[in-house]
Amino acid sequence: MYQLAVFCVLLALGYGFGRFAETRHYQSITRREKLFAELPTLSLRSAGEDEEAVFKTQFVSANVVISVDYFKRVAAALRGFFGGNVQAYESLVDRARREAVLRVKESCPGASHILNVRIETSSIHKGRGNGVGSVEVFAYGTAVYNAPD
Amino acid sequence: MIMTNIETVPGKAIISCFGVVSGSTVRTKHAGRDIMAGLKNIFGGELRGYTELLGESRDEAIRRMQQQASQLGANAIVNVRFSTSSVAAGAAEIYVYGTAVTVE
Amino acid sequence: MKFKPGIESLETDNVNVSHSSPVREFVTLLLGAFGILALIYAVSGLLIDKAVDWIDPKTEKALFSDLYNAFDDAESQTDASVTLQRLVDDLQQCLDPGYEITVNLTEDSSPNAFALPGGKMVVTQGLLDLVSSENGLAFVLAHELAHFANRDHLRGIGRGIVLAAMSAAVLGSDSGLDAIFAPASLAGQARFSRSRESQADQRALMALNCHYAHIGGATEFFEGLKRRGDAGDTAGTISHYFASHPDAQSRVDALSALGGDSGFAQGALRELPEALQ
Repeated sequence: MYQLAVFCVLLALGYGFGRFAETRHYQSITRREKLFAELPTLSLRSAGEDEEAVFKTQFVSANVVISVDYFKRVAAALRGFFGGNVQAYESLVDRARREAVLRVKESCPGASHILNVRIETSSIHKGRGNGVGSVEVFAYGTAVYNAPD
Repeated sequence: MIMTNIETVPGKAIISCFGVVSGSTVRTKHAGRDIMAGLKNIFGGELRGYTELLGESRDEAIRRMQQQASQLGANAIVNVRFSTSSVAAGAAEIYVYGTAVTVE
Repeated sequence: MKFKPGIESLETDNVNVSHSSPVREFVTLLLGAFGILALIYAVSGLLIDKAVDWIDPKTEKALFSDLYNAFDDAESQTDASVTLQRLVDDLQQCLDPGYEITVNLTEDSSPNAFALPGGKMVVTQGLLDLVSSENGLAFVLAHELAHFANRDHLRGIGRGIVLAAMSAAVLGSDSGLDAIFAPASLAGQARFSRSRESQADQRALMALNCHYAHIGGATEFFEGLKRRGDAGDTAGTISHYFASHPDAQSRVDALSALGGDSGFAQGALRELPEALQ
């Protein structure tokens, strides 16, 4: 009985706070993406730039770990029973990837573009039965500056 | 030490090449962070403790790789790649490798 | 190569996430899972009942005898247990489960009695302390005999195994889902169990009337529980649905009603045998 009550409270808390955190995070992501819209991130190895114009290059990287909330975890477990798209986790990895790329951009505001952007996703708690559910996204690339910062 | 994750250093010519250099760290989180993360697991949101931990581990791995490159006499590392794996419960291995070169 | 940022057009529609309501998805899935589990449980319950009818007492005894080698005869040969055994043997002439029942007495202070597979009955010291007459004790023993005769102990164990296997196989252990399904399955099992208890009460009452020619003392055990105040007499509240036994008052009422309907007489109670006091 208590088990059920605790479960419902956790579920409601998870849904409420998780939803709140997600909305806020998305707001911040869209705002910052607009801010850095002019800094191109490319998955190309070369942007065909004029080699003479390059002032310096810099290796840039950033990471973010985002936790699932209780509601998402339970919803995903239910999904695991039936199979299909795990909707609850789609937004989680989407947020994490965009956040990581944004952090890369934020670490080199004066660059003209970032080459060869790679995004690596890992679950740091894989195979750890009752562990903390979270997803880590690590993004890295080569920032090219055409002028001093 | 110049680092890029493409085959060249834009604007500079590669003079000589030393082969693959690498750095790795295995780190585990500590209990305090685990408890906080457990709480966060109910509410959702970013796990700053883990973000920092993994960031530090990567910096450390990069530092080791750069050290190796300087030992060889290189002044740049090109084509840098990362790989992350969990070797044991709660411990993450960060491995970074690239090609040590000298540029003009 | 000219760079054209396309952020404005991507902002309104994110293709990488689903836009349907997570709560609706959650509720649909939950109801679906409940439905499937209820179906599995109902079907396996039927199969268990079939299997129980098919296993005869001899096979049952052979299957489960290994279980009890641990707590065997040395301790059970006290005066109390011999007297208890004799009482059970007498009662078996009125209510025969079809095979030999052996009684064990345990030191446990909470008043209770169990029917275990293989014809083993366990009576606690707490039960002997609670009842004040032989008739009262005989009713509880007859109730357990009725469980043996109805094969309820096997049905209960079978359902328990199905539930455990189901939650382990389907839900996994770390999903948090067992927190919803465990109480639900408990409630289902409790309802089943309460109906079996009422049936056992009825048979026990017949046996009591057959043995003593009256039904005096039948409600003694439940009255005792009520006095102790731990009988869960909270009919109407939600905990009622999770109790595996009907609450004491409703059992007393049911027994009195049945006794009246069948025209059973009340009579003088017999003292508890000295060895059991």
